[in-house]
Amino acid sequence: MREVLEARAVLLNEHAATREEAVERCGRLLVEIGAAAEPYIASMLERERSISTYVGEQVAIPHGLNREAVLRDAVCVVRFPGGVDWEGERVSLCVGIAARGDGHVALLAELAEILLYPERARALREAVDVETVLKELA
Amino acid sequence: MPERTVAVASRSGLHARPAKLFVQEAMRLGVPVKIRVGDRKQVPANSMLGVLSLGAVQGTVVTLSGEDEAALDALVALLATDLDADTEQGEARDE
Repeated sequence: MREVLEARAVLLNEHAATREEAVERCGRLLVEIGAAAEPYIASMLERERSISTYVGEQVAIPHGLNREAVLRDAVCVVRFPGGVDWEGERVSLCVGIAARGDGHVALLAELAEILLYPERARALREAVDVETVLKELA
Repeated sequence: MPERTVAVASRSGLHARPAKLFVQEAMRLGVPVKIRVGDRKQVPANSMLGVLSLGAVQGTVVTLSGEDEAALDALVALLATDLDADTEQGEARDE
């Protein structure tokens, strides 16, 4: 996953009052780093409303469905230390995904594999420096 | 233990949306069912992270195992259905 995650795509101290705000923050970041075009954000929000991207271990994986708005495969990691209510679940880490083709399936499998180890999931959730995040997701 | 083998029919594979529907059904059935790809490690069918970790794309053959054959059949039927079929042109639609 390291190839698609750069240091500037990691934010460790964000705040979001709602799930929508959190998804928008992730989408904005993907646009800022040049991985997606503006319309991708709206698609991420739409996807999230259709069915929650919560996967467990306080982690959600917002992503859009309009692949044509993806400029290159990338992920971003946004930490919300205060937590965000996600349809009754608490989310403290979002992994935003921009992927063309089937690339996201392999990415998701890789991420899920990591989160299946509770201690690695916790290390990610509680990371206070970018290096820790990059190391955990290497 | 009884087993069933089926190819994943959903266009987007067994990831976020189809995976969630599959996991929800496994939870609803409430009996232990494991799922694996080939000879790889099996994971509980009711674990979202476990199911996502399989990395199954459309056409990937998965094996379900469990004592409750009716539950296996129900889950096989779900996997054999294109769960993305109610979305058009990649656009999500509220259910």
